[in-house]
Amino acid sequence: MAQSYVKKDDDRDDEVEYSPFMGIEKGAVLQEARVFNDPQLDARRCSQVITKLLYLLNQGETFTKVEATEVFFSVTKLFQSRDLGLRRMVYLIIKELSPSADEVIIVTSSLMKDMNSKTDMYRANAIRVLCRITDGTLLTQIERYLKQAVVDKNPVVASAALVSGIHLLQTNPEIVKRWSNEVQEAVQSRAALVQFHALALLHQIRQNDRLAVSKLVTSLTRGNVRSPLAQCLLIRYTSQVIRESGNNTQSGERPFYDYLESCLRHKSEMVIFEAAKAITDLNGVTSRELTPAITVLQLFLSSSKPVLRFAAVRTLNKVAMTHPMAVTNCNIDMESLISDQNRSIATLAITTLLKTGNESSVDRLMKQITNFMSDIADEFKIVVVEAIRSLCLKFPLKYRSLMNFLSNILREEGGFDYKKAIVDSIVILIRDIPDAKESGLLHLCEFIEDCEFTYLSTQILHFLGIEGPKTLDPSKYIRYIYNRVHLENATVRASAVSTLAKFGASVDALKPRIFVLLRRCLFDSDDEVRDRATLYLSTLGGDIETDIDVRDFLFGSLDTPLVNLETSLKNYEPSEEAFDINLVPKEVKSQPLADKKAAGKKPTGLGAPPTGPASTVDSYERLLLSIPEFANFGKLFKSSAAVELTEAETEYAVNVVKHIFDTHVVFQYNCINTIPEQLLEDVIVIVDASEAEEFSQVFSKPLRSLPYDSPGQTFVAFEKPDGSPATGKFSNILKFIVKEVDPTSGEAEDDGVEDEYQLEDLEVVAADYILKVPVSNFRNAWESLGPDCERVDEYGLGPRESLSEAVNTVINLLGMQPCEGTEVVPPNSRSHTCLLSGVFIGDVKVLVRLSFGLDGAKDVAMKLAVRSDDETVSDAIHEIVASG
Amino acid sequence: MILAVLFANAEGNILIERFHGVPAEERLHWRSFLVKLGADNLKGVKNEELLVACHKSVYIVYTILGDVSIYVVGKDEYDELALSEVIFTITSAVKDVCGKPPTERRFLDKYGRICLCLDEIVWKGYLENTEKERIKRLIRLKPPTEF
Repeated sequence: MAQSYVKKDDDRDDEVEYSPFMGIEKGAVLQEARVFNDPQLDARRCSQVITKLLYLLNQGETFTKVEATEVFFSVTKLFQSRDLGLRRMVYLIIKELSPSADEVIIVTSSLMKDMNSKTDMYRANAIRVLCRITDGTLLTQIERYLKQAVVDKNPVVASAALVSGIHLLQTNPEIVKRWSNEVQEAVQSRAALVQFHALALLHQIRQNDRLAVSKLVTSLTRGNVRSPLAQCLLIRYTSQVIRESGNNTQSGERPFYDYLESCLRHKSEMVIFEAAKAITDLNGVTSRELTPAITVLQLFLSSSKPVLRFAAVRTLNKVAMTHPMAVTNCNIDMESLISDQNRSIATLAITTLLKTGNESSVDRLMKQITNFMSDIADEFKIVVVEAIRSLCLKFPLKYRSLMNFLSNILREEGGFDYKKAIVDSIVILIRDIPDAKESGLLHLCEFIEDCEFTYLSTQILHFLGIEGPKTLDPSKYIRYIYNRVHLENATVRASAVSTLAKFGASVDALKPRIFVLLRRCLFDSDDEVRDRATLYLSTLGGDIETDIDVRDFLFGSLDTPLVNLETSLKNYEPSEEAFDINLVPKEVKSQPLADKKAAGKKPTGLGAPPTGPASTVDSYERLLLSIPEFANFGKLFKSSAAVELTEAETEYAVNVVKHIFDTHVVFQYNCINTIPEQLLEDVIVIVDASEAEEFSQVFSKPLRSLPYDSPGQTFVAFEKPDGSPATGKFSNILKFIVKEVDPTSGEAEDDGVEDEYQLEDLEVVAADYILKVPVSNFRNAWESLGPDCERVDEYGLGPRESLSEAVNTVINLLGMQPCEGTEVVPPNSRSHTCLLSGVFIGDVKVLVRLSFGLDGAKDVAMKLAVRSDDETVSDAIHEIVASG
Repeated sequence: MILAVLFANAEGNILIERFHGVPAEERLHWRSFLVKLGADNLKGVKNEELLVACHKSVYIVYTILGDVSIYVVGKDEYDELALSEVIFTITSAVKDVCGKPPTERRFLDKYGRICLCLDEIVWKGYLENTEKERIKRLIRLKPPTEF
């Protein structure tokens, strides 16, 4: 029996179900294609053969060059036939065969003839085929016809020309741009689809001309757009104009908001949704603006159409990230979506609820989620786990039920990425919520008893080694760790040995027992395990004086960049002289720009390791430590986020990171040279601190060479009064010697010219001296600090746009961590309390309670209560607010 | 941009596929991803009931019609709602050509016409026609009636 191309199961012997293409073979079809050459064409038969060719192409069959050319030549003969159905098939197969440039010529004249035909449909199809197969030279010949076609009375012809224009714009923009007037006329067409296609093309033609796009939007939003599809496009373009126009107009009204709002009452759901989405995406959208959009999205949540439900919940999920309170009205509708058949909708509903829920609803929500988790795929589960992690950080008091939930799902079946997401979440909770530490560590211990993933086991063992010894009863973890030495593969066994050693080094009482266990490991079958046991036994067994070295060795991070170590090891040639790690360069090698860009673009998959802020701070600390001049500055208190000092796409891109020490501030200027023909040398930033009186410059470290595309750093250090939150403004000029680079050889010229480049000013503000550190229970922390160093005062903040804006301003001014979700102001509130926590420079814990009140004229009054261990710090916080 | 339109039979074999702006090396991945998505979710789903999924900024709307499952993938302006418009046009056109939700045999019998319909609906990643009556005429090279 001949085998079908389509059906795999050839057991089916019901003849009716056989495929009409059963047993189809390329060779036979090519033979059949000879009918195209018959003097008396059989249109029906020819159509059948074309269908077979289409089928073969769709099944992934490829034709050799000779075969394709032969078929293409035969097909061109079919232009002789007057049969309409066949002609339509011919147009299609020519597009599918996509003939090469030298073949196109054969068919051009026939198509040109059709393009001028009186039969509209010939014209439309010929345009589409020609635009598909033609190149630039031919295009200039047919441009005149295309222009005419754009304004053709027949909507099919006009659409064919317009859609062709959209495609041709990519390859021949200068030609298509000449059609502007015709396309503009087509935008006014009465035919809905023509209007849609014309609008898309017109926008693409003008997309780089802001003013033209703005004019287009202004005229069309007043006029009558017939097609819902075109209306959706117009809404998108309008959002773009709003985004680019920046702030509100003088009257305070947002431009085009009324238009967007009116679209919420359109009869087409697509338009309503697009408008709602555009409103939720507005920069700094207010609650008043959001309300009507949220109302229509809420209606969509109970729609019978899954696509609408999905679209609505997806949009609300996004809104919940920035305006959780605005979405709370939809919570009931969203809860019913947890049981939605479409798992994408259910997952989005759950994660939205997790963002908008309040403390009291957590337990109920967890119950619902538990039922739901069993029947969704891992990728959805990961999303839920991540949402639960953020919820737990928001409501630390609820850690018990959330931690239990995480440990329960950790015991269930699941793939690596899912398990890793859970373990990562537990680790983060242990790190940020002190109360959760003990139970979290025990959950992890139980997990490694039965963990099939070596990577996770080793990570957990490493983490246990750091956190376990700091608990009240470290001995209870030893059993779990030592079990690994018996039951696991060599990698995990080696990790377990290192963890045991860490316990031995940190807890003196356990040391003798750890020795016994480590000695047993000396007989392990794996050499790495034995080596580690031997090493740790000898380091731990030394004198008391070396204790600090041992701890450094066991717990200290490697202060040498791994890449440098790897290169040095590769270059090391076996000799009498031993390899000396101290000779490995410690400066972080800059990463070429191209790699960095690629890394930025790479989607951070679900399995990508989380890059917490801690790791950035660590790497900064290491970088600063590698510079001897900064070594005596003491411990790094805080590193700010990078502040851009140049605009995007300038010749030199520079940003700065402020590193705060007790008595010093170091500016780290990260520079990138974006000009391939230049090499910069002796790059330095000249800083003028005349508007920062308390600062005096002590050191500046130039960057010796800054080649194209390879970031480098230069540093400037200032001294400031001890522990004081000194502020000031610094102006910066980038100074360097520029050398021309020969583009062919890549060699730089010997002589360079001195040059400079003005950078933006930089400010050190009070918030730079405060670390965002959350507390697990604000009330307890507040009570424990006591009223001794409390300072309370009242401030008038003047007229504000909203209460929420006032709250955000104060939070940003202080740079402290909002607690318990109090940074969010419920809509229409007249008063609000916001709780903040942080650590002030000098490691002084600070808590702030802000009470805001609004009077009729939008004037905001604020009561500020500060508690800390040091009254000067409490006073300092008041000073920051008073001067801000 | 409409990135892909795909028809598959009940066993997950591809009947028709059209990719736009998807590199050749990624097509196999999309093909198997979509077919798996259908196998996981389309069981017991009614004809033309739309299912939807999204992955980062790419949207997928898919459904079943008789023995054939249909997938449409899009990004940017072709979000889930625009794609539902596209898939609605496709299902209406296929039903029109086949007379009813097709068996696989019927679909293959009408293969040429369905290819023509698809050619009228999606052209290199853009939605071109949306009305089944018009499409019905266009595939026979007849001008639209409203003109």
